[in-house]
This record gives sequence, structure tokens and C-alpha cells, in this order.
Amino acid sequence: MRRLVSFLILALTVIIAFSQLAPGIPRNETFIANQLTGRVGTPGNFNLWAGWRSQDRGIQNLLLEPLWCVEYATGEIINALAAEPPIYNKDFTELTIKLRKGVYWSDGVPFTADDVVYTITLVKNTPGMDYNSQMQAVKEAIKIDDYTVLLKLTVPNSRFHTYLLDRWGALRILPKHIFEKVENPLTFEFNPPVGTGPYVLKDFDPGGYWTLWERREDWNRTPTGMLYGKPAPRFVLIQTFGTTERQVLAMAQHELDAADLTMEALRAVLQRVNTARAWRRDFPWTVNIDPCVTGLMFNNARAPFNNPEVRWALTLAIDIVEYAANAFDGAVTLSPIHVPLTSAYYDWYYTKLDKWLKEFEIDLGNGEKFKPYDPTAGKRLAEYVKSRGYTVPTDEETINKVFGPGWYKYAPDVAEKLLIKNGFKRDKSGKWLLPDGRPWTITILTTTNPAHPSYRNGFALAQAWKKFGIDTNVVTSDALATLGQRGEFEVTTDWPAAEPWGGHPDLYRVLDPFNSEYLVPIGQNAPWGNYGRWTNPELDKIIVKLRETDWNDTDSIIAFGVEGLKLLIKEMPGIPTFNYPGVIAWDEYYWTNYPGAENMYAQPYHHWPNFKYMLPFLKPTGRK
Amino acid sequence: MNFVKRYLLPRLFIYFLVIFVGITMVFIIPRLLPIDPIQQLIGQISSRGTYLDPKTLNNLIDTLKELYGLKGSLWQQYCSFWRRFLGGDFGPSYYQFPVPVISLIKQSLPWTIGLLLTTTIISWILGNIFGALAAYFSNRRWVKVIDIIAMIIRPMPYYILALSLLMLFAYIFPIFPLGGGYLIGGQIKFGLQTILTLLKYAFLPAMSLILIGFFTWFQAMKLVVQTVKSEDFVTYANIGGVTQARIVNKYIIRNAMLPQITGLALSLGQIFSGSLITEIVFSYPGLGTLLYNAIFTGDYNLLMGITVISIFVITTSILLIDLLYPLFDPRVRYR
Repeated sequence: MRRLVSFLILALTVIIAFSQLAPGIPRNETFIANQLTGRVGTPGNFNLWAGWRSQDRGIQNLLLEPLWCVEYATGEIINALAAEPPIYNKDFTELTIKLRKGVYWSDGVPFTADDVVYTITLVKNTPGMDYNSQMQAVKEAIKIDDYTVLLKLTVPNSRFHTYLLDRWGALRILPKHIFEKVENPLTFEFNPPVGTGPYVLKDFDPGGYWTLWERREDWNRTPTGMLYGKPAPRFVLIQTFGTTERQVLAMAQHELDAADLTMEALRAVLQRVNTARAWRRDFPWTVNIDPCVTGLMFNNARAPFNNPEVRWALTLAIDIVEYAANAFDGAVTLSPIHVPLTSAYYDWYYTKLDKWLKEFEIDLGNGEKFKPYDPTAGKRLAEYVKSRGYTVPTDEETINKVFGPGWYKYAPDVAEKLLIKNGFKRDKSGKWLLPDGRPWTITILTTTNPAHPSYRNGFALAQAWKKFGIDTNVVTSDALATLGQRGEFEVTTDWPAAEPWGGHPDLYRVLDPFNSEYLVPIGQNAPWGNYGRWTNPELDKIIVKLRETDWNDTDSIIAFGVEGLKLLIKEMPGIPTFNYPGVIAWDEYYWTNYPGAENMYAQPYHHWPNFKYMLPFLKPTGRK
Repeated sequence: MNFVKRYLLPRLFIYFLVIFVGITMVFIIPRLLPIDPIQQLIGQISSRGTYLDPKTLNNLIDTLKELYGLKGSLWQQYCSFWRRFLGGDFGPSYYQFPVPVISLIKQSLPWTIGLLLTTTIISWILGNIFGALAAYFSNRRWVKVIDIIAMIIRPMPYYILALSLLMLFAYIFPIFPLGGGYLIGGQIKFGLQTILTLLKYAFLPAMSLILIGFFTWFQAMKLVVQTVKSEDFVTYANIGGVTQARIVNKYIIRNAMLPQITGLALSLGQIFSGSLITEIVFSYPGLGTLLYNAIFTGDYNLLMGITVISIFVITTSILLIDLLYPLFDPRVRYR
């Protein structure tokens, strides 16, 4: 009995004495972030060149550096392993890459042109490796000297380097001295991993719930160190917390420094954790510089959505303030064009399209025209938010940037005219009938995740169109990606257009998927960014011009981008509604000086590759 | 000989037939889903921001089909599936290509077995003992207290129960960790400290499962015992002067245990598909989230691997129970 009691006391002591972190990993020297993509399926495998390896668990954001990286907070492209921007020859058949000198792999081997040449050649010659298809465009990768690489391309391509440009994915350079000894690069686990980034693997959970990284002693021999200095935390722990509730509890106990949350969870954190903050210190708190724009896409290959006047009628049937209130309690930035309103895109595109938008008219028939743009929509949204009791900025410029400069008018009468012009009718109860007399029912396909903006867009949209008199259903499906690509939907709240780079004015990524070259019938796989199967010959011409324009020729790129966006607005193949509202919280208990709307030195997400460039700016509070 | 011909062989035949049909269904059903694993993967890659040039997309799809073994007719895929399967190979995971499915299962299985096997057995034993005692001594005060608690906990959604435990013992009274399987940055070495740490991390998830399991078995056993207690043969034994201990042990418990043993066999089989909600709430490693991700991403091979193991274990448990049943129930004979 005495033994049993002793054992129980010992057990209890051990239980209570333990903390989450093992001895030797001081909490005040550790930065803890939740993992966006959840539990790691292959915890011991770090070979991200051979498939999805949960790169956001530190592989892309701590261990590896890319050649170039997009920084959408400042609107710049960071030269990381590259020393300079990409250099193309006149006809875009050759790309010269100048490399940064003095960079070392974490095992002490110098990083050189050999690594770049080897990476591109290996990936090109190994089916199954990521970017294998893309690298077929390389005729030859040549080492000019230790810090210069020349890529000869099979066809002219002024955007080839974008495969090597990190945004949330890129062909990152692998260590030649490790991979050249490997028999099968596909099955190789790359464990322990060797990188050019400022952190190395310390430990990982075989169950896949956490990965622990330690700052390199020679951090100054990495691009991060050279560009921004010493990363502040000695350790970074990327952990999967499971449910949002658990993230809130962990933040309340200061066991989590940075987290992606839902709006409801963010409110709970901000109310309960007095050291917590979000991107904006005041409402709407959310990150409004995310490079994604949310909204909906019509299936332009299906009647009646193949008619631009019907698409415009459905746009004008949306009261965007009510819509934003239903979707996110108004905590969004309205985006009337097909790129999000980040600071950079505001200057590059929003200001340039403002006048045109105000003058833009749609034809209602019988010589009647209508100007659909409502430059007061952002202000109306701000007023709504104010009426909810939140403090909102008062100056116009800030309102424009926080709530959006405008959107489209809520004009159900005009929508009605457009539909009647196209043969639609209302029945006795006011419900809309198709031109053939059948009741008009619209099914909206969306994701199954209630916290996702797509889901929120789906239900807000259904409410708006129901109010207008259209019978509308929402179908949530895990098969969204498959059904979307095959065009098996009427309306989907997947993105209205592919995302741009975020930190560069080039809209090739947004516009090229609409190229008629890739148009496929329903049942076949459409490219990402054009599940709606819309094309336009005018846009094809703009895409060709963009292809022939140097990536560094900003003025021409913006001019072509503006023309492309005008076509998208005129035809409205998908309706942009608001920016992706990133809902993140940081706890300032152990670390301060996070980037924020008032101090936008870096993008805010810990799962993005640029996270490593944020870490040197963090400051310890000194709390133990 | 009679045993083999009339009892064993028909059961073995059914056993193999169920496995064959089950595995064939496991092959067919995912292919009827509207989810195409390749499209899912491309969708995921694209939505995570990777730039996929539409021109190269078709090449990528072809390569993935080849690598995933999805080329050829359904019949060819089925034959190749059986060939691989009989060689003990479930193929590579599609989503985590080219990692073999068996490696993924091996990594999660020990945690699942450790947690679910232990909690299932503990809750079964405790539930049955207390259920039997409660039925027999149904007028005692402690029985009424347990009944009230059972009435509160049984209908409670598991998620709420698990979250309440987490709030109570990891947040309000921070005795146990908020989740995970082991100390972060700590090494699992054989020794008392490791065992205690493992127990500490497993305590709350185990408690949530035991609580639900205990009251389920408790109520079931109590009901069965109460029913058996009023059977004629028990009354007859009472009148006949058979001792109470003998009536309880040999007459009541033995009869009441029969459905509970069958229930245990089924519960043990279900262990191998993991407990999704437990894993999500407590971030506990196991097969549950692996299976969920396999469904969500259309990872046929992984889905088949986990389900096939589950089919094997359930059918084998039932076969064993069937063969052992005569030992528990004298009315069943190898005739």
C-alpha cells in the first residue's frame, strides 16, 4: 500500500511539474505558431521536391531560401539566393541568374551555381518530382561561373523565372552534394534536412503534430541573415493544435504566439488575452493585404450564365453592404476588380481604374445606359460597421484602403430590366422564371469549411439572390476541386480569378488562365483560375502582349493589366466581392514588434515563406 | 470431424467471402465518389499558391496517372490491386506520394492501438462490473448516483464532453497538457519518466473515451442483467435454494455477458479506423485523421489500406468469437 501511495505521489509530481516544452527549450526563446495545413502525414520526410510534405511546417518558411520571394506587404520582390532580378535576353529564350555570394548550406558546404544547375536538371529528368512538367521548358542549364547560371529555354518565355519565385510554392534549390549521392530522389526522405535558410531541424513529432527548429549558429551566412540580420527566436515550434477552440485556449495560456483563427475565435482571443493583437489593432482586425480575392465564378459554358447581361443582372442584385455584413460582419475590404485591394495593387490598379469605373456603362436596351459603379460602397460599409458600435477611420483615403473604394450599385430594378430584356419573367409570387418558363433555381457550389471565405460568400450570395426572387441552393462538397475543374457547377464561390503575385504588378497569372488556348468543354479539366470557361479574343491579344513584355517593364505590364481587368469587369465572368480576410492573432506576451497595418514591414503569416524575413524584427519582452 | 465440416468450414467460407466482398467494395466505392485524386491534388496545389502553367497541367496529369497506377481500365486496376494486396503492398499514398501507405499506417497505428485498445478494454471491464453490480443491487444509493451521472454523460455529444475535459483540466486547472502525444522536444526513451509523460498526454483523451464507453457498457449490462434476473430459470434456482453467489456468477452474469462479448469484439474491430474527434480535439496521433484526410483527398490507396485492416480485424474478431462462443454459451454446440 505504501509503495502504491509513493508511486501515485511520484506520478502526480511528474505530471504537474512538466511543461509543454522539454527542458533545454526555454519558452521565452521559442516562437510557437500553429500549422495552417494541420497534422503532418509524413513527419520524417522533408523532401518537398517529391510531393506535398507540409512545407509550411518550417520547410519553406525557415529551412529553405528561394531564388526570389514575393513580399506583398511592401510590393517588392526580394532577391534571396539570387543577387539580382532575373535577366532575360531580347527574345526571352535565355535567362541569366546571378547568385548571392557567401551563402552556405546548413552543413557548411558553400551554395553555388552547381546547386541551381543540378536542381533544374534533376527535376527536369525525374518524372514525379514537383515542377518536372514546368522544367521541360529548359533546353539546357549552364554554369557560367560559381555565381552565374544561364538557362536556355525551348520557347520564348518572359515569365519562366516565376517557377523559381516563391509566393507559397516555387521550385526551391536543393543541395547538390546531398542529392547526388541518392539513388532515388523520389523516395529519399531528406532527413535530417539541409537548407540555406536561417533555421535547422531540431526535432519533430513522429505523430506529425509538431516540428521544432533551431536558429543556425552561422545565420549570417544565409540570405535572411544578410538581408535582415539575426532572427530573434532561438527556437521556432510549428505545431498543429487541431480545433480553433484549442488554439484559443493555448493563446490564453501563452502557449501559442501566432495563429490562424476564425472571426469568432479572434474575437474571443482579443477579449480574453490582453497581450493579443491582430493585423489591425482596431476593427476590422483582419489582414487586408492578402493577395487573394474572393467572390464567385459563373459557369460561362452553361445557360443562362453564358450571357454577360445575366451575369451583370446577378451582380446588381447584390447589396454589397448587406452581403459583407452577412458574410463577415462587415470586416472585409471590398474588391470591385479581379485583383485584391492590397497597398501595392491600390497604387498599381485601383487608382488607375477609378475614373474608368465611374464612367463605365452597361446597355439596358432601348438606348438606356446605366453606370453600375458605386464609389460610395466602401463608405456605406464603414457606416454600417459604425452602426454596429465599432470605431472606424474617418479620412477617406483610409476608408478606401480599409473598406474598399467602392463596389457595384444595389440596383434590383436595373437587374430586372436586364433580365426582362433577355426573356426572363417573374411568376405571380414574384419569383423569377427562365426564358422558357421554368422556375429559375441556382445552385451554388462551395467548400465544406464554414470558416472559409468561400463558404461565407456562398451563403451570403444565396441570401442576396433569394431576396431578389431567385430560388437559390448552396451545396457544400469536399469534391469542390474536382467538380470545379470539370465545370460541374452553375456558380461556385471558388476564387473569381487566379491570384496575382501579390508583390509585383504582373497580372499574367490572373489573365493567362482565361486564354482561349486552354478552353475545354464541361467534363474536362479547366485550368485553375478559369473553371468558369470564359474567354475573350481581346484578352487573348493582351495575354500575348504580356508574354512579350519584360517582367521588369513595370509601366507596360500595368497598362496591359489595366486593359485585361477592364475586359473582366465588362463581361463579369465571375464577381469579385472582397479581399481574402486573413484572420490571424499574435500574442505579445513573449514577442513584440509584429508587422501590422500600422507597421507594414512584412507580410503577416507564419506559414508563408517570408516568415523567416519577419523573425529578425521580433523583439523579446524578457518575460520568463 | 463434425466440428470441422459442420461448424468450422462454413464459418471459414463466410469469413473469406466477407473479406473478399469487403475488399472489393473498398476498391469500388472510392471510385464512385465524385472525387478524383489527381484533380484534388492539383486543386490543393493551386489553391496553396503554386503556379501551374495551364500548358504543363496536362503533362502533370498524365505523369500522376502513371505514377498513381490509375492508368488502364477498371478491371486492370482491380487485378493489379489484388496482386499488390496479396503481396502485402497497399501501394503509395497518392496525397503523400511516393510514401507507401503501409509506412503511414505503421506510424499512426501504435498510438491508436495504445489509446483505443486500452480505453475500450478498461471501459468494457469497468462498465460490465459496475453494470452487473448496479443491476443486482439496484436499490442502493450509489447505483442511483451512477444512474444520474450516466443520464447526464451518455447523451452528451462526445465533442462537448472532450472539450469540457480539456477546458477543465488543461485550462482552468492546468494539470494536463492541451494536447499532443508527447513532450515537445523530448525524447521517448524506455523508462519511468517516459511512461509517465506518455500517460500524462494520454490521460485526457483516454478519460473522454473511458467516460463515454463506461456508461455505455454500464447501462447495457445493467439492462441485460435486470432482464436475466427476472428469467424463469433464475427464479427456479432461487426457489431451489441455489446459493446467491452461484446464481450471480453462473446463472446471471454468464448469460448477461454474451451480448457484451459480441459487442466487445465489434468495438475492438472498430479501433482500427481510429477515433477522429479524439484526435482532432486533443491533437492525439492516430489513424482517425489519416483516414479522414484519405477520404477528403481521394487517396484511394490509403483509404483501402486502413479499411482493409479494419475489415480483417472485424471479421477475424467475429470469427474468433464465433469459434469461442460455445465456451461462453453452453447452448451453442459444435453439432
